[in-house]
Amino acid sequence: MTKSMKPTTRRTFLKGSAAVAAAAVAMPNVITPSRAQSKELIVNTWGGSWTAAENESLFKPFTAKTGIAIKTATPVTYAKLKVQVQTGNYEWDVSNANPPQLKLANAEGLIEPLDFNIIDKSKLRVPIYENTLGFIALSTLLVYRTDKFPNGGPQSWADFWNVEKFPGRRCLYDRAFTCLGYAMLADGAALDKVYPLDLDRAFKKMAEIKKHVRVWWTQGNQSQQLIQDGEVDMIAMWSARGVESIEKNKMPGQVVWNQAESYGSGWYVAKGSPRKEAGMRFIDFVVQAKPLADFCKILPYGPLNPDSFQFISDEEGKRMPTYPAHAKIAFTPDADWLLPRLHDINERWKQFIAT
Amino acid sequence: MALARRPEIVAWVLLAPATIYLVILFVAPLVQVLILSFTDPKVSTAHFVRVFTAPLYLRTLGVTFQAAFTVTVACLLLAYPLAYVMARVKGRLGIILLAIVGISFWTSFLVRTYSWLIIFGNRGPIAALYETMGWGEMPRLLFTAFASTMGMTHLMLPYMVMALYAVMSRIEDNYVRAAHSLGATPFAAFRTVYFPLSLPGVINGSLLVFAIVMGFYVTPQLLGSPQSRMISQIVAEQVQDLLAWGFASALAVVLLVATGIVIGIYNRVAGLDRLWGD
Repeated sequence: MTKSMKPTTRRTFLKGSAAVAAAAVAMPNVITPSRAQSKELIVNTWGGSWTAAENESLFKPFTAKTGIAIKTATPVTYAKLKVQVQTGNYEWDVSNANPPQLKLANAEGLIEPLDFNIIDKSKLRVPIYENTLGFIALSTLLVYRTDKFPNGGPQSWADFWNVEKFPGRRCLYDRAFTCLGYAMLADGAALDKVYPLDLDRAFKKMAEIKKHVRVWWTQGNQSQQLIQDGEVDMIAMWSARGVESIEKNKMPGQVVWNQAESYGSGWYVAKGSPRKEAGMRFIDFVVQAKPLADFCKILPYGPLNPDSFQFISDEEGKRMPTYPAHAKIAFTPDADWLLPRLHDINERWKQFIAT
Repeated sequence: MALARRPEIVAWVLLAPATIYLVILFVAPLVQVLILSFTDPKVSTAHFVRVFTAPLYLRTLGVTFQAAFTVTVACLLLAYPLAYVMARVKGRLGIILLAIVGISFWTSFLVRTYSWLIIFGNRGPIAALYETMGWGEMPRLLFTAFASTMGMTHLMLPYMVMALYAVMSRIEDNYVRAAHSLGATPFAAFRTVYFPLSLPGVINGSLLVFAIVMGFYVTPQLLGSPQSRMISQIVAEQVQDLLAWGFASALAVVLLVATGIVIGIYNRVAGLDRLWGD
């Protein structure tokens, strides 16, 4: 733990004795640092309802089982991960992330290799991706307002592009590869032919719809507000948010699972974390069938552990991206293809929608 | 000899803490940013070539300058009469106005930005006004360049008011009265006497607002549109989503130099030495 032995100076001696005195006074209630290290873990999380769901389904059962207390740090930023690894100061130990960033982080050596002495590989039921354990699938899909389209709204991206047959205000997610994937589908590409993206073809198709897009959203709550308030009539948004708008916030709407973009997110331990052992135990625990099912029952993301569906009713499962019938009609971005091109694609995209 | 040098030594000793602080916390990181922009991931000038050849970055820089200029002018037009009243009216009204500006100044940027989300939102007061007056559908306000500019103007207004007020409160009423007694109309007195005396405040306030808006992030991010994206938003995306710190550093360097050039020109025209009075 200690970096080097330093000769005791008067100042460090004074500091040390002050600390001892303080510790002596507070003794009955303090945990010494060495014990604290194995008994606590700091999870990097998004905050809000996401963290509340994690707390209920993942953190509490994990602490009950292992005695390791969970603390949280928000928000999720990859820049912080890089700083932590570069400086050796860790604000948090574990986090989860989505493919393009995950691949990027792993390529930069920011992710601790999985420790299969702690994680029992033979019992693992989730995919391993870039030194992470697969957790949930997230879908970004078409949602429309049923009060605007009482006789059935758009059912595909070709319909979304069809402004004569489905007039109305449109809204898209300001994320290049998501929209370009939709454009490929709207232009007639098959689900398994979306990737590798034909950029010229996709941008050409995007140019058709651009002037009909009223808003490009950037934050999840913004997308919900836009469709719930009826400011737009159809939108590409995260499935769990769409389900929440309809079920909890009573929006007259419909989620369209057809041609959804869906990808898995994974849990990882930050490279070099001083609490990596506890971190490995944690990420192994949270991808087990039961906690993962509990998480997805609170927030309807798609569990990547197929056994989780044993704990999920059919009714509940129909809200999730990995429900077999939904998974079949979705497409997944090819992160391996995307990563080396991400900078160029984003640059071209930003220029495209800004002008 | 030693005695003669003493005031100088005292000055250096007094300056030392601030200087050390600035060097460690400001100059050193800035130098690091400069180094990163040429070395991450490998030694090259490729980042700068990209900034100046891909149309996105120069366009965004242009949008950023435009926003900073608009906000500065809007703040000046709004703040000048307010600061004028605050400085000229003695007693309770002046104190109330000062308190209002002060409270607004001390309220967090984030809170004030979020408040615009409500005001411009579909369930906000403007939407309610349109509904009660039967004006039909409200024009889209949120997530536009207009909302972003409005938000930034609101945030920067207290800075401009304070800068103007600081100068105006020191302008003696007697000067204007003298002009009147020499036969000047109120407008002529204002134009030839009051306004020139208030100019250091105008220069100071404009510079402050302009420089801060050049680096704005939160407000355009929350209220603006992809069309009104500012350079710091691109920097943030490079840092956070793409982990491309070298390129982000290059953009930051370009922003810094561009802002420096504008301030340099401004200095030539307006004279920064007037900032601190005579």
